[in-house]
Amino acid sequence: MSGEALLRLEDLEVSYGNIAALKGVSLEVAKGEVVCILGANGAGKTTTMRTISRLLRPRAGRILFHGEDITQVPAHKVVHLGISHSPEGRRVFGILTVEENLWLGAFTEKRVDKERLRWVYELFPRLEERRKQLAGTLSGGEQQMLAIGRSLMSRPELLLLDEPSLGIAPILVRSIFERIREIAGEGVTVLLVEQNARAALKLADRGYVLDVGTIALEGSSADLLASEKVQEAYLGKKG
Amino acid sequence: MSSSLSRLGGAAFLLGLVVLPHLLDSRWQAVAITFLVFAVVALSQDIVLGKAGMFNMGQALFFGMGAYTTAILNSQFGWPIVATIPVAILVPALFGIILSAPIVHLRGDYLLVVTIGFNIVFVQVLQNDLGGLTGGPNGIFGLDSLALFGVTLGSQVAVYYFAFVVLLVTLGIMANLERSKAGRALHYLKQDPIAAESIGINTRVYRIFAFGLGAGIAGLAGTVFATQYSAVSPEGFEFLQSILFFSIVLVGGSSIPGIFLGVFVMFILPEIFREFSTWRYFVFGFAMVFTMILRPRGIWPARFGRIPAFLVRPHRDG
Repeated sequence: MSGEALLRLEDLEVSYGNIAALKGVSLEVAKGEVVCILGANGAGKTTTMRTISRLLRPRAGRILFHGEDITQVPAHKVVHLGISHSPEGRRVFGILTVEENLWLGAFTEKRVDKERLRWVYELFPRLEERRKQLAGTLSGGEQQMLAIGRSLMSRPELLLLDEPSLGIAPILVRSIFERIREIAGEGVTVLLVEQNARAALKLADRGYVLDVGTIALEGSSADLLASEKVQEAYLGKKG
Repeated sequence: MSSSLSRLGGAAFLLGLVVLPHLLDSRWQAVAITFLVFAVVALSQDIVLGKAGMFNMGQALFFGMGAYTTAILNSQFGWPIVATIPVAILVPALFGIILSAPIVHLRGDYLLVVTIGFNIVFVQVLQNDLGGLTGGPNGIFGLDSLALFGVTLGSQVAVYYFAFVVLLVTLGIMANLERSKAGRALHYLKQDPIAAESIGINTRVYRIFAFGLGAGIAGLAGTVFATQYSAVSPEGFEFLQSILFFSIVLVGGSSIPGIFLGVFVMFILPEIFREFSTWRYFVFGFAMVFTMILRPRGIWPARFGRIPAFLVRPHRDG
């Protein structure tokens, strides 16, 4: 692992009522990295993301960002700190236009940043073509582009992407993953949750495998792709 | 085009309200005042329910709290009505903030039950003559008239214009809210609280803000109400009243014309068809059922949430 850790989770425990969703998850993301979290349904991937962006409160453990404890920081302030969360299921505002949704992403900024918008449109030209269209009328893939674009508008250092491939045509998945590469190339650190393990590992530098609330495996993407366990459980190959 | 048309319609409507009392006899003037007062309360409920999407079923509480604040300060402490106005706004607003702070995170149906509870407790407190101040089931009567600069404004027409000014102020606040950052924040958190939170909107603070603002406006309406009748009593602020305000916003569609329409149907039509008045809940009940089935977003749905042009323009130039 190179450089200091931008984000560090220490023994994070989260539960929904009596049901433990995370049972002591620790992980690290260094500045400039693309890291993915893999795992089956219910492994705790989305829970991890929501805990980082403070939509959920951990029962125990710490979240460190730039070495500072942000475990008690409320969700809206996390955005100010430079963490932007593109939540599962896209959650764009369907009754607003594409461009209005993007402006919204800059809600925390005093002034709206034209260059930023330019950059998002360059990343996703499709969004510029449809900027006057209501977000609710976009296809799933376009909505995903919009969700990612919207989370970029607040100038995050760390981008949390929850299942960007969910419910999207395979051809668009590839294109979106290429864009994520480009975003990382601009210096934005990316933490990505995915069920599509192969695509995620091709994109990411490193990965963690979550299994029922604990980290089962970790390593570089190449190692994980080669690992028999991963191949069996997530890539659908028989040993 | 359509927006300038609706602006014209709005201006004509307000102009109509200005001349209205001179065309009416005293009974109808009283009805017209009721219309204005209840429209203000319904608009205040719209801030909480329509704009912020919180299922508040206790707006009559804040309405009553304003009315009782004015009544108590005037009858027990001899304050002139005018002097009670700021207190009648602040006390309900403060209670709105304190009561809502622990509950705003609740989901719609739970919030509904809690606010019903608040409303019932409030009416019980009034009926049991708390601290000998609220006058029990009979309430408080014999309040002074509104007086400004030594001139007593005791006539119905004067009360009407008092109510009209309060309505104008409320409409001004609503229009301002629509364009402001706070108003947009409310709208987005209503659409999707999680998305709103993840773009950095402090949903909790804005929800409490909506409650406080709505409560303050309802309290101001309460002062007008108390002035109109020179009296207050608990039954005017019961839970059933809250249901009516709630329904008016929902059926009207959370737009200003929709809310006026709702208040008209609910409170004015029964006066026009006096012999029919016991049937009003029957009629409104059916109206509610059919509106929700046929026009689930209300008779006159609000259009809101657009980012104002002055914010978006910088890009269009570039």
